[in-house]
Amino acid sequence: MGDDTNPLMMLIWILPIILFVFYGQQIQLLVTSGEIKKGIKKLNGFRLNSKTELIDYVKDNLNPASDPTKKIEQFLDYFTIMPVDMDPGGIVEKVRHTVRSREDYTRNHIKSLSPGISDVELNRVQTLLEIASSLQMIHKIVNHMFLTAKKQKNYPLILPVQMILPFLMEHAEAMKSSIPAFKTGQPLGDGIGPMVVGKMMLDAEKEIISFQTALAKIEYEKRKLFLLKAEGPGSTVGRPDEALQKIVDDNKIDAVIMIDAALKMEGEDSASVARGFGAAIGGIGTEKFQIEHIATQNKIPIFSIIVKQSVKEAITLMSKEIADQADNVRSQVYDMVLENTAEGQSVVIIGVGNTAGVPQ
Amino acid sequence: MIFSKEKTTLAYTVEKCTECEKSRKRDFVQGDVLFTKSSNCSFCGKVTIIEKIFGEILER
Repeated sequence: MGDDTNPLMMLIWILPIILFVFYGQQIQLLVTSGEIKKGIKKLNGFRLNSKTELIDYVKDNLNPASDPTKKIEQFLDYFTIMPVDMDPGGIVEKVRHTVRSREDYTRNHIKSLSPGISDVELNRVQTLLEIASSLQMIHKIVNHMFLTAKKQKNYPLILPVQMILPFLMEHAEAMKSSIPAFKTGQPLGDGIGPMVVGKMMLDAEKEIISFQTALAKIEYEKRKLFLLKAEGPGSTVGRPDEALQKIVDDNKIDAVIMIDAALKMEGEDSASVARGFGAAIGGIGTEKFQIEHIATQNKIPIFSIIVKQSVKEAITLMSKEIADQADNVRSQVYDMVLENTAEGQSVVIIGVGNTAGVPQ
Repeated sequence: MIFSKEKTTLAYTVEKCTECEKSRKRDFVQGDVLFTKSSNCSFCGKVTIIEKIFGEILER
């Protein structure tokens, strides 16, 4: 047991300690860099793949007069500067205006590629453009954060990237996987709300009440139901807030029921259905704000039914489990109408979500 | 990954007969749209409606 006092053994123990004390952060930076580099490489692959898919789709389906590659590449670099929120008064209006201006610009940009394009095709290309643009932005931001940390040799700077990367990868992979569904016009997991309401609208007369939003009026157990959903089967979410405002302006509404897909928590079952209160609608928040505002002003209770799913399930082809819930959710909607309204009253039922592949 | 299986999503269409209410599952084909008329029912010959379009994951 003379090893304890052996100077060579002591050196073997002490050297790594000294090494880790002075160079620990750099070693950690090296290890973490390897993981992040792999992620960035994957993100770059997604970005290039989505761009190629978009260009090929436009070339094959839109018959553009000239090569659209340059125009599309230019568009992918377009950015949106969100309004200043130091003074939050009126910020929702400003955000709505900015986002809608961008949407209008995108639509006009696509129309310039192919003037005779149909609305369904236009929505499809618009969605593919948004996916490619988002993947480009994610790659750019992660790459920037990584390179900055490396340049500064600053380990703490790389930690936020390491922490957020798995979530970003999940979103990016979901976006990449959603491309085939959008290209072929298949319904998405997020389309469960429009699917439920779309079937209820089938035999009723439909009208377009606001931009890309369809309305049908039906009678159910002596109650008047206003059925709202985005106008399918194109890839759009419509403008349910504007539509609700128009309905409330002309009618006395006693309840609003919203059906939407919602992100499930880890450990929760996919396609499980839950009921609750409040506006079930995602997005950047402007529509949710407007719906809540209308409901509060007119003292209308909002009920909601959600179908839980993961990010990937929400934006890729609808899974069997989610599709199988459609009839169950529809019967729950009818139950909710009976439970919360009396005969002669009126209810607005909104199928929230992307209506790709779901007509009415 | 060495042990992870390759996952492929296969798209299916479910047609439901408006008369006898029998359902039939088949592969999705380009142009299938929910709630639209599809082929004739193999049991009673009446028209079927596309009831569902969904994907199933195949692990290989």
